[in-house]
Formats: sequence, C-alpha cells, structure tokens
Amino acid sequence: MNKRDFIHQLWRYKRGSISRRQFLGATGLGLASTVLATTMPELAGPRRAFAGELGDKVALTSWPSYHDENNFKAFTEQTGVNIELAVFGSNEEMMAKLQAGGTGWDVFVPTNYTIPDYVSQDLLEPLDTSLIPNFDASAYETRFTDAGTVDGKLYAISKDWGTTGYVINGGKITDPMATWKDFWDLSMTKYTGRSMVHDYQLTTIGNALKYYGYSFNSIDPKELADAEKLLLAAKPHLFGINSDYKPSLLSGDAWASVAWTGDALQLRRDMPDIRYILGQEGGEIWSDFYAVVKGAPHRAAGYALINFLTDPAVNAKEVLFHGYPTADSRTNALLPKELLEDPIMYPAAELLAPLEFGAAGLITNEARAEIMARFKSA
Amino acid sequence: MRNATGPSPLLTAVLLAPGALWFLGLLVLPLGVVIVFSFGERAAVGGYQAAFVLDNYLNLPARWTAFKNTLVLAPIGTVVCLIAAYPLAYFLAVKARPETRTALLILVIVPFWTSFLIRTYAWMFILGGRGLPSLIEWAGLGEVRFINTPFAVLLGIVYAYLPLMIFPIYVSLEKLDKRLLEASEDLGASPWRGFMQVTLPLSAPGAVTACMLVFILLMGEYLIPQLLGGGKVFFIGNALVDLFLQSRNWPFGSAVAVSLVVIMLATVSVYMRFAGRIGGARDVSLV
Amino acid sequence: MTAHGAANGTADIEFIDVSKHFGAIAAVDHVDFAIARGSFMSFLGPSGCGKTTSLRLIAGFEQPTTGDVRIAGTSMVGVPAYRRPVNMVFQHYALFPHFNVADNIAYGLRQRRPRPDRAEIARQVDATLDLVRLPGFHARRVWELSGGQQQRVALARALINRPTVLLLDEPLAALDRKLRRDMQIELQNLQREVGITFVLVTHDQEEALSMSDTIAIMRDGRVIQIGSPRTLYDAPANRYVAGFVGESNFFPGEVVAADERGATLKTAAGVVLSAPYPPGGATLVGTARGVIAVRPEMVAMWVGPDDPDGAAEFSCRLGGRVHNRIYLGDQTEYSVATDQFGDVLVRAAKASALEIGPGQEVRLGWRQASGLALVDS
Repeated sequence: MNKRDFIHQLWRYKRGSISRRQFLGATGLGLASTVLATTMPELAGPRRAFAGELGDKVALTSWPSYHDENNFKAFTEQTGVNIELAVFGSNEEMMAKLQAGGTGWDVFVPTNYTIPDYVSQDLLEPLDTSLIPNFDASAYETRFTDAGTVDGKLYAISKDWGTTGYVINGGKITDPMATWKDFWDLSMTKYTGRSMVHDYQLTTIGNALKYYGYSFNSIDPKELADAEKLLLAAKPHLFGINSDYKPSLLSGDAWASVAWTGDALQLRRDMPDIRYILGQEGGEIWSDFYAVVKGAPHRAAGYALINFLTDPAVNAKEVLFHGYPTADSRTNALLPKELLEDPIMYPAAELLAPLEFGAAGLITNEARAEIMARFKSA
Repeated sequence: MRNATGPSPLLTAVLLAPGALWFLGLLVLPLGVVIVFSFGERAAVGGYQAAFVLDNYLNLPARWTAFKNTLVLAPIGTVVCLIAAYPLAYFLAVKARPETRTALLILVIVPFWTSFLIRTYAWMFILGGRGLPSLIEWAGLGEVRFINTPFAVLLGIVYAYLPLMIFPIYVSLEKLDKRLLEASEDLGASPWRGFMQVTLPLSAPGAVTACMLVFILLMGEYLIPQLLGGGKVFFIGNALVDLFLQSRNWPFGSAVAVSLVVIMLATVSVYMRFAGRIGGARDVSLV
Repeated sequence: MTAHGAANGTADIEFIDVSKHFGAIAAVDHVDFAIARGSFMSFLGPSGCGKTTSLRLIAGFEQPTTGDVRIAGTSMVGVPAYRRPVNMVFQHYALFPHFNVADNIAYGLRQRRPRPDRAEIARQVDATLDLVRLPGFHARRVWELSGGQQQRVALARALINRPTVLLLDEPLAALDRKLRRDMQIELQNLQREVGITFVLVTHDQEEALSMSDTIAIMRDGRVIQIGSPRTLYDAPANRYVAGFVGESNFFPGEVVAADERGATLKTAAGVVLSAPYPPGGATLVGTARGVIAVRPEMVAMWVGPDDPDGAAEFSCRLGGRVHNRIYLGDQTEYSVATDQFGDVLVRAAKASALEIGPGQEVRLGWRQASGLALVDS
C-alpha cells in the first residue's frame, strides 16, 4: 500500500465506522491525521511551487465525517494552502484544549450553545466579514445563525444544523415509538440490553429530562435529580454509553440509540429499516458554526478557508457528503429536491416546533457534569 | 598527579544533567503542578482557579465506583494475564526448540507492529454481533453477547497486556540453569515437583515484576474499557479523561490523579517487600 | 576391547552393549563394562569421547538407544532419573540458589515418601555437613561460598541420600590447582569412608591416575581400554592410550620382524628399533606398521664422550642437542633435538641434571626392554 492509498483508507475508515461526537478525540485518531498531514504534507494535496500571502497551511478543528475530502483538495489547488484537519469528539474537549492554550488552531467548528462561553473567555476573534465575501447574512435562516452573534458582534457563521432524536432498527423494533418516554421505557423493559445513549452530558441528560417533560436545558436541581434517577435506573439495561453508536447498530448488537440527523441518514444508506424519531416532547435542535480562534497563527488562510467553504457550490457538496441540512438558501437551491424533502433532514414542522436550542452555560455546568460522571461510573 | 579513581565531579554532573532534567521536567514538575491543582477550585467556566481547599479530596467518594472497578478488575486482569502468560513463557523458554523459539518470540511481538487502536477495533468486530456471537448462534449454541461486558474488557486487557507479561517471565525462565532441574530430578524429585520447588520459585521474581508492570499500567487504563466496555465499564482512567476533557474540573481531576499515584506507590512498596521476601525465601525452610 | 572387569555378582553398574545415538552421531558406541562395588572408577578422554554421555546414561538423564544399563543388577532402561539409586555432583555444582546450604543438602531427603521427620532431616544434615567438613554452614547462602565450599555442599547434597553410586561430572574442573589437589585427596578419603561406588568423569589424566581404582579410556564413543592406572601406564593397549596416560616418545615405523614377544621396526629415517609388547598387548605379527613408545624417564642422557655404566645394554644410542629445559620440581624435562627422531623428550631426576642446559650436546640411549611395541592407532 502506498502512502496515498493509506491516506485514502484512513479517510474511509474514519467516515465509515466513526460517528460524530465524543470518540475520535479520545482515541487519538484525530491527532494521527493531524500528524500525518504535518509530516507528509504532500499527501494532503498538491503543493504550489511557491507559497502565496496566505502561507502554506491552515489548521482546522472539526468533527468526524463532517467534510468532503474533495473540497479540501480543491481548496489546496486554488490557494496552495494545505489543510491540517483535527477531528474531535465533543465540544467539551474542544473547549478544554482552547482553555489550556497553545493549540495552534486557526478555524474550528463550535456548536451554538458554546459560543457565549468562548466569547466570555475571550477565545474567539470577532469576524471581519470583508474577508468572507461569500458570506451573505440575508441568505440564511436567522434562527440557525443568531447564536453566532454575541453582544452585537459576529463571532461565528453558520455551517449546518441538525436535530437530536433517536434511531431504531425497524427490523427488530416494531412497536410504535414516538416519544422519549417510549425510548426510555422500552429500553428498560422489552428491549433491555439493546439501547445506547451518547457519552455526552448535553443530550443524555437533556433527553432524560424530556422523559418527565422538563426542559432539555434544565439546571433545576429537583428536575436534574429526577433525570439522574432515570439514568441510574436505565444504566443496567443499556447496551452502551457511546457516541460512536453506528457500528453497534450496523452489527445488530444495538437496536436503538440516541442519534443525530446526519448519522441517521448515513445509517439509512446501509440499513433501510432504520427509523429516525424525534420525541414528541421535544429535544434538541442545534447548529454548528465556523469560528476563528483568537491569535490564530494562520489567520488569513483561516478566513480564506471559511470563505471557500461558504461558497454555495462548495457547501452543497459538503451537505451531500455529511447529510446535515444547511441554513443557507443559496446552497439549498443547488441541492436535489428529494434531499430537501427527506424527513430525517427536514422533520415535520410540528415535530420541530417543541425542540430547544442548547442553552448558554450548559457546557460549563458542573452539576450536569457530575450527574454524567455518576451515571457513567454507576 | 590527578587522582585516577574516577571521573571529575564536573564530568559526572554533565553526564547526569540530561537525565536529571528529564526527570525534573517530565516527572517532578508535572506531579508538583497536579498536587498544587488538587488543592484548587474549579473555575466557573472549567479549568483551575487558585485556592487552598480540601474539597477535592473530600469529594473523592464521588468516584468510588471508578476506584472500585479499577481495584477489582486490574488485579483480576493481572492474575488472568499471569495465568495465561506463564505457560506460554514456559513453553517458549523451556520447551520450544531454539530454531522455532525466535520465530515464536517474534509472533508475540508482531501485534505491536499494528496500532493498538486498530487491534482493539478488530476485537470490537470479533466480539460484536456479526463476529463470534453470530458464529456461536449459527452453531446452535444459543444467543450470547460479549461486547460491552466486563468479560470483553477483561479479554481486551489480557490480549493487550499478555506480551508485557510474557517477556519478564520468559527472561527469568530462560536464564534459569537447566542443570538445576536435572539436579532436582537426580535428587529424587519428579519433574512436576522439580517445577514446583525449583522452576516456580526461581521464576517468581520475573513473574512478580511482570505483574507489577501490568498492574500499574492497568490502573491507568481507559481505552479498553471505553472501546470494549462501551462506556459501561468505568475505570479511574475514564474518570480522569472525563474530568479533564469533559467536565474540565481540573482540581478534582488532579485530586483523583494524586490518589491514583498514591495507590500505585502503595502497591509498589508492597511489591518491594514481597520481592524482598522472595529474595529472603532462601532462608525460609521448606520443612 | 576389555571384558567385564568384575564378576556380575559384585558389579554395581554394568553396561551391556550400550549405544546412544543423537541423530546420526553415536555418542556411545557398543560399550560394555562393569564397575565393581565400592570401587573408584574414572572415565577419561577428550571432550566428545562419550564419557559424559555414559555418566548421564547411568544417572538417567539419557536412555540408551540400544543395550542395557544395570545398577546393582537391575535394568534401568525406562527408569527416570528420580527413581534411580544414584546421585550426581554436577560440573558447576548446580546448587539451588534460592535455598541456603542446609536446604540444599536436605533436598533429596525431602523428596522421599514417606518424608523423614524434621528432626531426622536436621540430624542427617548436621552429620553430612560434618562429613564434608562444613560444620555450622547451615544458614549460609550458596552464592556466598567459595568454589571449594560449594563443591563440598554439592557432595553433601548427593551423599546424604546414601546412593548406591555417586557420579561426579568433572567435579574439580572449576577449582584452582592447589585446591584441586586437596579435594582429590579428600574425595578419595571420603570414598573410603562412605564405601560407595564413585564414578568420575574427567579429561584430566593426572586426576584420573591419582584417584581411581579403575580407569576407562574412551575415544569416539568407545571404551579403548579399562584397567588400573598402573596397567594403563605400563601396558597401554595402543598408542592412543599410551599418549593419554602419561607421556611417551613415539617412533613409528615399518614392521620388519615380529614374533610373539616383540617386534622390530624400521623408522622413516632408516633407524631399526626393537621392543617387547606390553604384558597382554597385541602382537604386531602380520601387521605392516607399528610404533615403539619410550617413556621420557626411560631415556638416559649423558654428556660424552664416555658412555656411562651399562650403556652397552642400550638398544639405541644417538646424539642430540638440548634446546629446551623445563623444571618439574623433583624432575627436569629436556627436549633434545636429534637427527634421527626429531625432538625426543627426556625426564631426569633433579640431582643428575643440574649441569645440562640448552645448547649442550648430549647423548641419549635406552634399553630395548624399556620400549613398548604398540599398535599405531
């Protein structure tokens, strides 16, 4: 196997078996791809004969299975800038790295509810939109872009959005399931040992709160105590606590799991029986953003990358790859009709209505972190 | 004339400097930082805020389950590893023909040529629904589940640490003078009793060293429980990863880390005493 | 080939047409012998001659490929080492490093079933330590002991079991010369004291000659000759034995005449020499070539021109020049260059030799009866 094939295999490996959050950062594969890109830059794409004013590289920190490799190649061909991609497992981990400092990151992909915390810790640069000519605020659905603006300043621009529901293997689970109550109740009874939840406090605690009809974002001690009770009762019945749930569903070990839009879509490609359910009680709707790290070492290249990825033609290829909807109407105009009508990507309005965006402050909430720790170690 | 008994103090200092700096910079300093952190407070947004409180240590019982899981599964893993490794090491050192021995030793090392992560992924597949369980089901032996169970974690541990266990035992058995066994047999001991009275005690220091090595590494293990335990088997290592990377409670994480170091030091001191006893066993009468 | 040295009834160990093959190599090749009860027997030969394999066949670490090994009249074929009434002192002692001296010595007793009680073991360990003159060494660690002390512990560890036969595999090889001399005497005394059969393997002819009642000379897996040290010295079966037991000057040549008592040879230089056969030695009748061996101490040396008394009886007289002189304490050894035979070794008592040094022209001679006509092999 030559080097190029190896990189190709690595990409396939990452795309195929690893889900969005929590996982890769902990295992070091993200780091491995960064190191590979650094030590063997020729693998990241053809190099220009001379480096322009953008320099020759840019560091992007994002999520697994979240970018089309061909877009990266095109960017490098156009600009001579190689992309050093690092993939992470959770917002918490990204924040931990940035707080510790010295990351060398230029651009990263935070989720909506974390942005105020980044801003308050002075970790983000207010964006200079003159360097992102492809960005047209008027083309975006504002409810997915609002979180990028803090105190009237734009810190992040929308990448895509999605929901957090649960997937079930329709070949194994035939019960009509529509609510979070159904998910938790059946996980603890009829389908014991078959369900998975994320190793991620936001969604795991949030969807346990929904069982009681509480807010997904609650930090009320009594409500959190109820959620913890449910989690501890469910723990022995769970197949796993893992944000990398796709392999377990594909192998038939797990029949149900809390899941994100794009993973549900990717699972359906291999398992037509997969159903994606948004609990009628509500749950999470979220949006991911591009942001520039304060003091980014390759600031100009970072802006160039964001500008490139904001190009509707490029963004459309991204959506086709990762399966998450975008808030940019110019991009949607380029997407096939059946994708825009897909119920996983675009759930019915009455299901979307009760969903909540994650609340600012949850990422640093200690009470929820401790509940998660107690749940995992129980 | 210069005293020729040894190198000059300056040369000694120069030669020792890299090691000392390494030790200071990579062991003492970080440990000092961790100890200082362990008395601090968690900043509102996570991380560390200077303080001097004992709360983090008082809060240790909140991770009792993780300590308990580690302190139960690490010794069990070590013992199972030992039981699996000893016969293998014995075969390699004593029974294998010299020509095949090298090949077999290389086979023991070969797994290290692949990334640990990829090997563990292979186990995820083998133990997963499409792997071994489907074979067992196909053979009509009933429905079983391995992945995400303590058994899978134990298996992963034995798999990962077996070579580390084999080598120290192999070395102690390999250097064992075969004539001692002939002497034992000559003096009327059957091969089995020769093994019990000569081979086993003389390879015990190697076995204890191997156990120590594996046990200490197991105490800090987090990947295997994460990958093969599916997040349901929670070690101290997992608690630490979560505390530093998820909840970002550095002071509490530091307190947990310090406790882990203390437990390991205690284990090592018990080991030293045990190893000393084995050395002293030369005085212990068998009568 | 020598037949059984002892009548079957008094033999402790018998090899009956024993062969041991390792792959294509015959380490022991059709060997027959018997070792008399209570005797001190040595296997002597260069490395690879089969002497250690013979010892291991007795100990039970090897099983014969063909033939029968008997100990005290009982066949040992198929009997494992731990069931044989023999004990061995290993070349490098093989003491158990994890036991102290007393536990090493008690090891054999503790393997007995039923096991002797604690007091009995302690008593025997005490007695055996006294026997090997290491009283009070019980708690010592074996690696703290000197080579000679380790040697005694190894002896004690074997002797405490009161074996029918004690096997010694080059037991003194690791000791320095002085200590080796002392231990040789001690081993002999010990053997008389305990009265059991000792079988020693050694490549050191002096050691074998000084300690043994009987010596088996081995070569290439075969026993060439068995006999007392005196027999081997005075009546070697062939040139190999004569060369291995003591030193000799060898004068090979064509057999020009031979009868039942002796032979006459013509050497390459054309010198004609005669000598009798050793007692019981093979005749050279009908043989093309032979060799005449003359021990260095049998060669007389004097400074001419007058012959000493009795020189008329010498069958051979010749001139030479001393080119080397080695003092051996009470004797002096000269190497004398001669035209006819090349270098000739001469050993003379100290008193008569003082004035002869290198460069000196000398004359040599020996009686015809002092030589031995031997098969040249």
